[in-house]
Amino acid sequence: MLDEVKQVGNMAQAAARSAQPYRRHIVGLPLQRSLFRQVARAATTIGLPGLTSEPDFPARLDENGDLFLDRSQVAVLTKALRSWFTPETLEFMHTTHAAACDALVDASENAARAATSLDGAARKLSEDLANRMALVLAYGILSKFVPDVLLRALADAGDVEPPPFPETSAGAELMRNTFALYEACCVLNYTPQRLQREWPGVPAEVFQLVSEFCNRQTGFGPLAWDAPGYEDPNYVVRLLHSAFSEVDAEQVRRRLSFAKRPAVARSTIDVPAKIAVLRRVLGFWLDFMERETWYVRRAFYLGMIPLLQQLAAGYRQKIPAFQLADLLFLDIRELAAGIADPAVIHTRRHRYMENTEYLSVHGVDSSRLATILGSS
Amino acid sequence: MSAETSTTVYSGLGASPGRASGKAYVIRNAEDIMAVPAGSILVVRILHPHLAPLLPRVAGLVVEEGAILQHATTLAREFGIPAAVGIRDARSLFQDGDLLEVDGYTGKVIERHID
Repeated sequence: MLDEVKQVGNMAQAAARSAQPYRRHIVGLPLQRSLFRQVARAATTIGLPGLTSEPDFPARLDENGDLFLDRSQVAVLTKALRSWFTPETLEFMHTTHAAACDALVDASENAARAATSLDGAARKLSEDLANRMALVLAYGILSKFVPDVLLRALADAGDVEPPPFPETSAGAELMRNTFALYEACCVLNYTPQRLQREWPGVPAEVFQLVSEFCNRQTGFGPLAWDAPGYEDPNYVVRLLHSAFSEVDAEQVRRRLSFAKRPAVARSTIDVPAKIAVLRRVLGFWLDFMERETWYVRRAFYLGMIPLLQQLAAGYRQKIPAFQLADLLFLDIRELAAGIADPAVIHTRRHRYMENTEYLSVHGVDSSRLATILGSS
Repeated sequence: MSAETSTTVYSGLGASPGRASGKAYVIRNAEDIMAVPAGSILVVRILHPHLAPLLPRVAGLVVEEGAILQHATTLAREFGIPAAVGIRDARSLFQDGDLLEVDGYTGKVIERHID
Protein backbone atom coordinates (compact mmCIF):
# COMPACT_ATOMS: atom_id res chain seq x y z
CA MET A 1 0.00 0.00 0.00
CA LEU A 2 2.83 2.36 0.83
CA ASP A 3 4.16 1.94 -2.70
CA GLU A 4 0.82 3.04 -3.99
CA VAL A 5 0.81 6.00 -1.69
CA LYS A 6 4.30 6.95 -2.80
CA GLN A 7 3.09 6.96 -6.36
CA VAL A 8 0.76 9.77 -5.41
CA GLY A 9 4.10 11.54 -5.13
CA ASN A 10 4.46 14.96 -6.59
CA MET A 11 0.93 16.02 -7.22
CA ALA A 12 1.94 19.45 -8.41
CA GLN A 13 3.49 17.94 -11.51
CA ALA A 14 0.53 15.63 -11.95
CA ALA A 15 -1.92 18.49 -11.64
CA ALA A 16 0.02 20.52 -14.17
CA ARG A 17 -0.38 17.68 -16.65
CA SER A 18 -4.16 17.76 -16.42
CA ALA A 19 -4.97 20.42 -18.95
CA GLN A 20 -8.76 20.13 -18.84
CA PRO A 21 -10.55 21.60 -15.82
CA TYR A 22 -12.54 19.18 -13.70
CA ARG A 23 -15.01 21.99 -13.01
CA ARG A 24 -15.06 25.38 -14.68
CA HIS A 25 -15.82 28.68 -12.99
CA ILE A 26 -16.36 27.31 -9.52
CA VAL A 27 -14.79 30.09 -7.44
CA GLY A 28 -13.61 33.47 -8.69
CA LEU A 29 -13.11 35.79 -5.73
CA PRO A 30 -9.45 35.78 -4.63
CA LEU A 31 -10.36 35.68 -0.92
CA GLN A 32 -12.43 32.53 -1.41
CA ARG A 33 -9.93 31.00 -3.82
CA SER A 34 -7.20 31.34 -1.22
CA LEU A 35 -9.15 29.04 1.11
CA PHE A 36 -8.63 26.15 -1.28
CA ARG A 37 -5.01 25.76 -0.22
CA GLN A 38 -5.96 22.99 2.23
CA VAL A 39 -7.29 20.98 -0.70
CA ALA A 40 -3.70 20.19 -1.63
CA ARG A 41 -3.39 18.43 1.76
CA ALA A 42 -6.73 16.67 1.55
CA ALA A 43 -5.31 13.17 1.81
CA THR A 44 -3.44 14.02 4.99
CA THR A 45 -6.57 15.74 6.27
CA ILE A 46 -8.45 12.46 6.48
CA GLY A 47 -5.48 10.71 8.06
CA LEU A 48 -4.23 8.66 5.10
CA PRO A 49 -0.73 7.68 6.22
CA GLY A 50 2.52 7.49 4.31
CA LEU A 51 2.22 10.81 2.51
CA THR A 52 5.23 12.98 2.81
CA SER A 53 4.99 15.20 -0.22
CA GLU A 54 3.11 18.45 -0.33
CA PRO A 55 0.77 18.75 -2.08
CA ASP A 56 -0.53 15.25 -1.41
CA PHE A 57 -3.75 15.60 -3.38
CA PRO A 58 -3.93 16.38 -7.11
CA ALA A 59 -6.35 19.32 -7.01
CA ARG A 60 -5.84 23.03 -7.54
CA LEU A 61 -7.75 26.14 -8.50
CA ASP A 62 -6.42 28.45 -11.18
CA GLU A 63 -6.87 32.21 -11.40
CA ASN A 64 -10.02 31.85 -13.50
CA GLY A 65 -11.66 29.89 -10.72
CA ASP A 66 -11.41 26.58 -12.59
CA LEU A 67 -10.78 23.44 -10.55
CA PHE A 68 -8.21 20.98 -11.87
CA LEU A 69 -8.17 17.42 -10.64
CA ASP A 70 -5.85 14.79 -12.01
CA ARG A 71 -8.11 11.75 -12.25
CA SER A 72 -5.27 9.29 -12.80
CA GLN A 73 -3.69 10.37 -9.52
CA VAL A 74 -7.07 10.23 -7.82
CA ALA A 75 -7.33 6.61 -8.98
CA VAL A 76 -4.02 5.82 -7.30
CA LEU A 77 -5.14 7.58 -4.15
CA THR A 78 -8.46 5.72 -4.24
CA LYS A 79 -6.68 2.39 -4.32
CA ALA A 80 -4.52 3.41 -1.38
CA LEU A 81 -7.59 4.55 0.51
CA ARG A 82 -9.37 1.22 0.07
CA SER A 83 -6.41 -0.67 1.47
CA TRP A 84 -6.33 1.66 4.45
CA PHE A 85 -9.93 1.18 5.59
CA THR A 86 -10.31 -0.66 8.89
CA PRO A 87 -12.97 -0.06 11.54
CA GLU A 88 -10.39 1.98 13.48
CA THR A 89 -9.27 4.19 10.59
CA LEU A 90 -12.88 4.70 9.48
CA GLU A 91 -13.76 5.77 12.99
CA PHE A 92 -10.85 8.20 13.01
CA MET A 93 -11.87 9.66 9.64
CA HIS A 94 -15.46 10.02 10.80
CA THR A 95 -14.56 11.68 14.10
CA THR A 96 -12.19 14.23 12.59
CA HIS A 97 -14.62 14.99 9.77
CA ALA A 98 -17.54 15.60 12.14
CA ALA A 99 -15.31 17.71 14.38
CA ALA A 100 -14.24 19.90 11.44
CA CYS A 101 -17.88 20.59 10.55
CA ASP A 102 -18.91 21.32 14.14
CA ALA A 103 -15.90 23.57 14.68
CA LEU A 104 -16.78 25.63 11.60
CA VAL A 105 -20.37 26.10 12.78
CA ASP A 106 -19.10 27.20 16.20
CA ALA A 107 -16.49 29.53 14.71
CA SER A 108 -19.10 31.13 12.43
CA GLU A 109 -21.42 31.88 15.31
CA ASN A 110 -18.54 33.02 17.48
CA ALA A 111 -17.39 35.45 14.80
CA ALA A 112 -20.92 36.74 14.32
CA ARG A 113 -21.25 37.40 18.04
CA ALA A 114 -17.83 38.99 18.48
CA ALA A 115 -18.56 42.70 18.45
CA THR A 116 -14.95 43.65 18.84
CA SER A 117 -13.63 46.93 17.62
CA LEU A 118 -10.08 45.75 18.01
CA ASP A 119 -8.43 45.33 14.64
CA GLY A 120 -6.05 42.64 15.88
CA ALA A 121 -8.85 40.57 17.43
CA ALA A 122 -10.95 40.73 14.25
CA ARG A 123 -7.92 39.75 12.20
CA LYS A 124 -7.23 36.73 14.39
CA LEU A 125 -10.87 35.65 14.31
CA SER A 126 -10.96 35.96 10.52
CA GLU A 127 -7.82 33.84 10.19
CA ASP A 128 -9.24 31.19 12.52
CA LEU A 129 -12.54 31.13 10.67
CA ALA A 130 -10.74 30.93 7.32
CA ASN A 131 -8.65 27.97 8.50
CA ARG A 132 -11.77 26.12 9.54
CA MET A 133 -13.47 26.91 6.24
CA ALA A 134 -10.41 25.69 4.36
CA LEU A 135 -10.55 22.39 6.23
CA VAL A 136 -14.22 21.81 5.40
CA LEU A 137 -13.53 22.74 1.76
CA ALA A 138 -10.92 19.98 1.67
CA TYR A 139 -13.54 17.50 2.84
CA GLY A 140 -15.81 18.90 0.14
CA ILE A 141 -13.31 18.01 -2.56
CA LEU A 142 -12.79 14.59 -0.97
CA SER A 143 -16.55 14.03 -1.11
CA LYS A 144 -16.19 13.76 -4.90
CA PHE A 145 -14.59 10.35 -4.49
CA VAL A 146 -14.42 9.06 -0.90
CA PRO A 147 -18.15 8.10 -0.75
CA ASP A 148 -17.71 6.00 -3.91
CA VAL A 149 -14.74 4.23 -2.33
CA LEU A 150 -16.81 3.55 0.78
CA LEU A 151 -19.68 2.20 -1.33
CA ARG A 152 -17.34 -0.17 -3.14
CA ALA A 153 -15.88 -1.28 0.19
CA LEU A 154 -19.40 -2.01 1.40
CA ALA A 155 -20.10 -4.13 -1.67
CA ASP A 156 -16.82 -5.98 -1.16
CA ALA A 157 -17.83 -6.64 2.45
CA GLY A 158 -21.04 -8.28 1.22
CA ASP A 159 -23.53 -5.50 1.95
CA VAL A 160 -26.58 -5.72 -0.31
CA GLU A 161 -28.63 -2.84 1.12
CA PRO A 162 -29.18 0.41 -0.81
CA PRO A 163 -26.74 3.22 0.02
CA PRO A 164 -27.54 4.97 3.32
CA PHE A 165 -28.95 8.16 1.82
CA PRO A 166 -30.08 10.70 4.43
CA GLU A 167 -33.70 10.22 5.49
CA THR A 168 -34.21 13.98 5.30
CA SER A 169 -31.56 15.80 3.36
CA ALA A 170 -30.60 19.43 3.74
CA GLY A 171 -32.26 20.11 0.38
CA ALA A 172 -35.52 18.52 1.52
CA GLU A 173 -35.50 20.63 4.69
CA LEU A 174 -34.91 23.71 2.58
CA MET A 175 -37.76 22.70 0.28
CA ARG A 176 -40.17 22.37 3.21
CA ASN A 177 -39.13 25.69 4.69
CA THR A 178 -39.41 27.48 1.35
CA PHE A 179 -42.88 26.03 0.78
CA ALA A 180 -43.87 27.14 4.29
CA LEU A 181 -42.74 30.68 3.41
CA TYR A 182 -44.80 30.53 0.21
CA GLU A 183 -47.89 29.44 2.15
CA ALA A 184 -47.38 32.11 4.83
CA CYS A 185 -47.11 34.81 2.18
CA CYS A 186 -50.22 33.52 0.43
CA VAL A 187 -52.16 33.73 3.71
CA LEU A 188 -51.27 37.42 3.69
CA ASN A 189 -52.54 37.64 0.09
CA TYR A 190 -49.06 37.77 -1.35
CA THR A 191 -48.87 35.26 -4.14
CA PRO A 192 -45.39 34.74 -5.63
CA GLN A 193 -46.38 36.95 -8.57
CA ARG A 194 -47.58 39.79 -6.34
CA LEU A 195 -44.61 39.46 -4.03
CA GLN A 196 -42.17 39.76 -6.91
CA ARG A 197 -44.09 42.63 -8.46
CA GLU A 198 -44.23 44.71 -5.27
CA TRP A 199 -40.99 43.73 -3.49
CA PRO A 200 -39.56 45.47 -1.46
CA GLY A 201 -42.59 47.76 -1.13
CA VAL A 202 -44.64 45.22 0.84
CA PRO A 203 -46.28 45.42 4.29
CA ALA A 204 -43.91 45.09 7.24
CA GLU A 205 -45.34 41.68 8.14
CA VAL A 206 -44.51 40.26 4.71
CA PHE A 207 -41.12 41.92 4.66
CA GLN A 208 -40.31 40.42 8.04
CA LEU A 209 -41.39 36.94 6.95
CA VAL A 210 -39.01 37.01 4.00
CA SER A 211 -36.16 38.61 5.95
CA GLU A 212 -36.36 36.11 8.79
CA PHE A 213 -36.44 33.26 6.29
CA CYS A 214 -33.28 34.64 4.68
CA ASN A 215 -31.53 34.87 8.03
CA ARG A 216 -32.39 31.28 8.88
CA GLN A 217 -31.48 29.87 5.47
CA THR A 218 -28.26 31.84 4.99
CA GLY A 219 -25.71 29.34 3.73
CA PHE A 220 -27.87 27.76 1.05
CA GLY A 221 -26.79 28.85 -2.37
CA PRO A 222 -23.99 28.26 -4.85
CA LEU A 223 -20.47 27.47 -3.69
CA ALA A 224 -19.22 30.79 -5.09
CA TRP A 225 -19.89 33.47 -2.48
CA ASP A 226 -20.36 36.14 -5.11
CA ALA A 227 -23.31 34.28 -6.66
CA PRO A 228 -26.60 35.27 -5.02
CA GLY A 229 -28.18 32.81 -2.59
CA TYR A 230 -30.72 32.54 0.19
CA GLU A 231 -29.12 35.32 2.24
CA ASP A 232 -30.47 37.76 -0.35
CA PRO A 233 -34.21 38.62 -0.12
CA ASN A 234 -34.32 39.60 -3.80
CA TYR A 235 -33.04 36.14 -4.73
CA VAL A 236 -35.59 34.44 -2.47
CA VAL A 237 -38.49 36.47 -3.82
CA ARG A 238 -37.56 35.58 -7.39
CA LEU A 239 -37.03 31.93 -6.46
CA LEU A 240 -40.47 31.75 -4.83
CA HIS A 241 -41.93 32.97 -8.09
CA SER A 242 -39.95 30.46 -10.13
CA ALA A 243 -40.72 27.54 -7.81
CA PHE A 244 -44.39 28.05 -7.02
CA SER A 245 -46.07 30.12 -9.72
CA GLU A 246 -48.48 28.07 -11.85
CA VAL A 247 -47.96 25.04 -9.66
CA ASP A 248 -50.70 23.09 -7.93
CA ALA A 249 -50.00 23.42 -4.21
CA GLU A 250 -51.48 19.94 -3.69
CA GLN A 251 -48.87 18.52 -6.05
CA VAL A 252 -46.15 20.17 -3.98
CA ARG A 253 -47.64 18.72 -0.79
CA ARG A 254 -47.67 15.26 -2.38
CA ARG A 255 -43.98 15.62 -3.21
CA LEU A 256 -43.28 16.72 0.34
CA SER A 257 -45.26 13.77 1.72
CA PHE A 258 -43.21 11.49 -0.48
CA ALA A 259 -40.08 12.96 1.05
CA LYS A 260 -41.47 12.37 4.54
CA ARG A 261 -42.35 8.71 3.98
CA PRO A 262 -41.02 6.47 6.75
CA ALA A 263 -37.68 4.90 6.02
CA VAL A 264 -37.63 1.15 5.59
CA ALA A 265 -36.51 -0.28 8.89
CA ARG A 266 -33.40 -2.31 8.50
CA SER A 267 -32.34 -4.92 10.95
CA THR A 268 -29.09 -4.07 12.67
CA ILE A 269 -28.87 -7.48 14.28
CA ASP A 270 -26.11 -9.68 12.94
CA VAL A 271 -24.68 -6.94 10.73
CA PRO A 272 -20.92 -7.46 10.68
CA ALA A 273 -19.01 -4.73 12.48
CA LYS A 274 -17.15 -3.64 9.37
CA ILE A 275 -20.37 -3.21 7.38
CA ALA A 276 -22.00 -1.34 10.25
CA VAL A 277 -19.17 1.16 10.53
CA LEU A 278 -18.88 1.53 6.74
CA ARG A 279 -22.59 2.31 6.49
CA ARG A 280 -22.42 4.81 9.32
CA VAL A 281 -19.41 6.60 7.87
CA LEU A 282 -20.87 6.60 4.34
CA GLY A 283 -24.17 7.91 5.71
CA PHE A 284 -22.31 10.81 7.28
CA TRP A 285 -20.53 11.61 4.00
CA LEU A 286 -23.82 11.50 2.08
CA ASP A 287 -25.37 13.92 4.55
CA PHE A 288 -22.26 16.09 4.43
CA MET A 289 -22.43 16.25 0.63
CA GLU A 290 -25.80 17.99 0.99
CA ARG A 291 -24.40 20.49 3.50
CA GLU A 292 -20.81 21.08 2.44
CA THR A 293 -21.58 24.30 0.62
CA TRP A 294 -23.92 25.44 3.38
CA TYR A 295 -21.16 25.16 6.02
CA VAL A 296 -18.74 27.40 4.17
CA ARG A 297 -21.21 29.83 2.66
CA ARG A 298 -22.90 30.36 6.02
CA ALA A 299 -19.51 30.88 7.66
CA PHE A 300 -18.79 33.60 5.14
CA TYR A 301 -22.10 35.45 5.38
CA LEU A 302 -22.67 34.96 9.09
CA GLY A 303 -19.14 35.20 10.43
CA MET A 304 -16.66 36.54 7.91
CA ILE A 305 -18.57 39.56 6.61
CA PRO A 306 -18.93 41.25 10.03
CA LEU A 307 -15.21 40.71 10.53
CA LEU A 308 -14.41 42.22 7.12
CA GLN A 309 -16.60 45.20 7.96
CA GLN A 310 -14.59 45.74 11.13
CA LEU A 311 -11.26 45.34 9.37
CA ALA A 312 -12.18 47.78 6.62
CA ALA A 313 -11.88 50.76 8.96
CA GLY A 314 -8.20 50.02 9.58
CA TYR A 315 -7.48 49.72 5.87
CA ARG A 316 -9.24 53.01 5.15
CA GLN A 317 -6.92 54.79 7.59
CA LYS A 318 -3.92 53.55 5.62
CA ILE A 319 -5.40 53.72 2.10
CA PRO A 320 -7.85 56.61 1.65
CA ALA A 321 -9.48 55.26 -1.52
CA PHE A 322 -9.93 51.81 -0.01
CA GLN A 323 -13.35 50.24 -0.67
CA LEU A 324 -14.95 47.58 1.50
CA ALA A 325 -15.21 45.20 -1.46
CA ASP A 326 -11.43 45.46 -1.95
CA LEU A 327 -11.13 42.99 0.94
CA LEU A 328 -12.61 40.29 -1.30
CA PHE A 329 -9.57 40.64 -3.54
CA LEU A 330 -7.06 39.86 -0.81
CA ASP A 331 -5.56 36.46 -0.10
CA ILE A 332 -6.51 35.23 3.38
CA ARG A 333 -2.83 35.33 4.37
CA GLU A 334 -2.64 38.97 3.31
CA LEU A 335 -5.77 39.68 5.32
CA ALA A 336 -4.32 37.96 8.38
CA ALA A 337 -1.09 39.94 8.06
CA GLY A 338 -2.81 43.27 7.40
CA ILE A 339 -1.20 43.60 3.98
CA ALA A 340 -3.01 45.44 1.18
CA ASP A 341 -1.30 46.69 -1.96
CA PRO A 342 -3.71 48.92 -3.93
CA ALA A 343 -2.00 48.05 -7.22
CA VAL A 344 -2.35 44.32 -6.61
CA ILE A 345 -5.98 44.72 -5.58
CA HIS A 346 -6.64 46.77 -8.70
CA THR A 347 -5.09 44.11 -10.94
CA ARG A 348 -7.05 41.29 -9.32
CA ARG A 349 -10.31 43.19 -9.44
CA HIS A 350 -9.75 44.03 -13.10
CA ARG A 351 -9.05 40.40 -13.94
CA TYR A 352 -12.15 39.30 -12.05
CA MET A 353 -14.41 41.83 -13.77
CA GLU A 354 -13.02 40.86 -17.16
CA ASN A 355 -14.04 37.23 -16.66
CA THR A 356 -17.50 37.87 -18.07
CA GLU A 357 -18.27 34.20 -18.62
CA TYR A 358 -17.72 33.52 -14.92
CA LEU A 359 -19.83 36.54 -13.92
CA SER A 360 -22.64 35.45 -16.22
CA VAL A 361 -22.66 31.85 -14.98
CA HIS A 362 -22.94 33.06 -11.39
CA GLY A 363 -25.34 35.94 -11.95
CA VAL A 364 -22.90 38.55 -10.65
CA ASP A 365 -23.87 42.07 -11.68
CA SER A 366 -21.98 45.32 -11.17
CA SER A 367 -23.50 46.03 -7.76
CA ARG A 368 -23.18 42.52 -6.41
CA LEU A 369 -19.94 42.89 -4.44
CA ALA A 370 -21.22 45.93 -2.59
CA THR A 371 -24.47 44.06 -1.90
CA ILE A 372 -22.58 41.10 -0.46
CA LEU A 373 -20.70 43.21 2.04
CA GLY A 374 -23.80 45.08 3.05
CA SER A 375 -25.77 41.91 3.63
CA SER A 376 -24.71 40.98 7.13
CA MET B 1 -50.85 12.91 -42.49
CA SER B 2 -49.14 12.39 -39.13
CA ALA B 3 -45.61 13.57 -38.43
CA GLU B 4 -42.83 10.97 -38.49
CA THR B 5 -40.73 10.68 -35.36
CA SER B 6 -37.26 9.40 -34.77
CA THR B 7 -35.44 8.94 -31.51
CA THR B 8 -31.96 9.19 -30.08
CA VAL B 9 -31.15 7.25 -26.93
CA TYR B 10 -28.54 8.38 -24.41
CA SER B 11 -27.38 6.07 -21.64
CA GLY B 12 -26.50 7.07 -18.12
CA LEU B 13 -27.25 5.66 -14.69
CA GLY B 14 -30.69 5.30 -13.20
CA ALA B 15 -30.59 7.43 -10.05
CA SER B 16 -34.22 7.63 -9.00
CA PRO B 17 -36.90 5.21 -10.21
CA GLY B 18 -39.85 6.11 -12.40
CA ARG B 19 -40.45 7.36 -15.92
CA ALA B 20 -41.26 10.87 -17.06
CA SER B 21 -41.56 12.78 -20.30
CA GLY B 22 -41.69 16.45 -21.12
CA LYS B 23 -39.88 19.34 -22.68
CA ALA B 24 -36.25 19.92 -21.78
CA TYR B 25 -35.28 22.99 -19.80
CA VAL B 26 -31.53 23.48 -19.60
CA ILE B 27 -29.84 25.28 -16.68
CA ARG B 28 -26.72 27.01 -17.99
CA ASN B 29 -26.35 29.92 -15.62
CA ALA B 30 -27.71 31.36 -12.38
CA GLU B 31 -30.46 33.31 -14.10
CA ASP B 32 -31.95 30.21 -15.72
CA ILE B 33 -33.24 28.88 -12.41
CA MET B 34 -35.63 31.81 -12.19
CA ALA B 35 -37.82 30.62 -15.07
CA VAL B 36 -38.23 26.84 -14.86
CA PRO B 37 -41.41 25.80 -16.75
CA ALA B 38 -43.81 23.54 -14.85
CA GLY B 39 -43.71 19.92 -16.02
CA SER B 40 -40.34 20.25 -17.70
CA ILE B 41 -37.43 17.84 -17.74
CA LEU B 42 -34.68 19.72 -15.94
CA VAL B 43 -31.23 19.34 -17.53
CA VAL B 44 -28.37 20.34 -15.22
CA ARG B 45 -24.67 19.79 -14.72
CA ILE B 46 -25.19 19.02 -11.07
CA LEU B 47 -28.19 19.49 -8.81
CA HIS B 48 -27.19 21.43 -5.73
CA PRO B 49 -29.39 21.33 -2.61
CA HIS B 50 -30.29 25.01 -2.98
CA LEU B 51 -32.26 24.11 -6.11
CA ALA B 52 -34.50 21.69 -4.18
CA PRO B 53 -37.50 24.07 -4.08
CA LEU B 54 -37.69 23.87 -7.87
CA LEU B 55 -38.10 20.10 -7.90
CA PRO B 56 -41.82 19.77 -7.21
CA ARG B 57 -42.54 21.58 -10.48
CA VAL B 58 -40.36 19.38 -12.69
CA ALA B 59 -41.30 16.01 -14.17
CA GLY B 60 -37.84 14.52 -14.47
CA LEU B 61 -34.15 15.15 -14.14
CA VAL B 62 -31.20 14.71 -16.49
CA VAL B 63 -27.82 15.29 -14.84
CA GLU B 64 -24.35 15.46 -16.36
CA GLU B 65 -22.50 14.52 -13.17
CA GLY B 66 -21.60 10.86 -13.41
CA ALA B 67 -21.63 9.33 -9.95
CA ILE B 68 -24.65 7.68 -8.35
CA LEU B 69 -23.77 9.10 -4.94
CA GLN B 70 -24.54 12.75 -5.51
CA HIS B 71 -26.99 15.53 -4.68
CA ALA B 72 -29.35 14.73 -7.54
CA THR B 73 -29.77 11.11 -6.45
CA THR B 74 -30.52 12.09 -2.88
CA LEU B 75 -33.02 14.81 -3.79
CA ALA B 76 -34.74 13.02 -6.66
CA ARG B 77 -35.30 9.93 -4.51
CA GLU B 78 -36.68 12.02 -1.69
CA PHE B 79 -39.22 13.70 -3.95
CA GLY B 80 -39.96 10.70 -6.16
CA ILE B 81 -38.72 12.33 -9.36
CA PRO B 82 -37.34 10.06 -12.10
CA ALA B 83 -33.70 10.90 -12.71
CA ALA B 84 -30.90 9.81 -15.01
CA VAL B 85 -27.36 10.85 -14.10
CA GLY B 86 -24.10 10.61 -15.99
CA ILE B 87 -25.49 11.93 -19.29
CA ARG B 88 -22.27 13.54 -20.42
CA ASP B 89 -22.54 16.97 -22.05
CA ALA B 90 -26.32 16.89 -21.58
CA ARG B 91 -26.46 20.68 -21.57
CA SER B 92 -24.88 20.69 -25.02
CA LEU B 93 -26.88 17.76 -26.34
CA PHE B 94 -30.27 19.20 -25.45
CA GLN B 95 -31.94 22.52 -26.09
CA ASP B 96 -34.92 24.08 -24.32
CA GLY B 97 -38.10 22.52 -25.69
CA ASP B 98 -36.59 19.23 -26.90
CA LEU B 99 -38.93 16.32 -26.19
CA LEU B 100 -37.31 13.98 -23.67
CA GLU B 101 -38.24 10.80 -21.89
CA VAL B 102 -36.36 9.89 -18.74
CA ASP B 103 -36.19 6.33 -17.48
CA GLY B 104 -35.01 6.51 -13.90
CA TYR B 105 -34.76 2.72 -13.66
CA THR B 106 -32.27 2.24 -16.48
CA GLY B 107 -30.72 5.70 -16.76
CA LYS B 108 -31.75 6.03 -20.40
CA VAL B 109 -32.84 9.35 -21.85
CA ILE B 110 -34.76 9.24 -25.12
CA GLU B 111 -34.92 12.32 -27.30
CA ARG B 112 -37.81 12.35 -29.74
CA HIS B 113 -37.44 14.24 -32.98
CA ILE B 114 -40.51 15.18 -34.97
CA ASP B 115 -39.43 15.07 -38.60
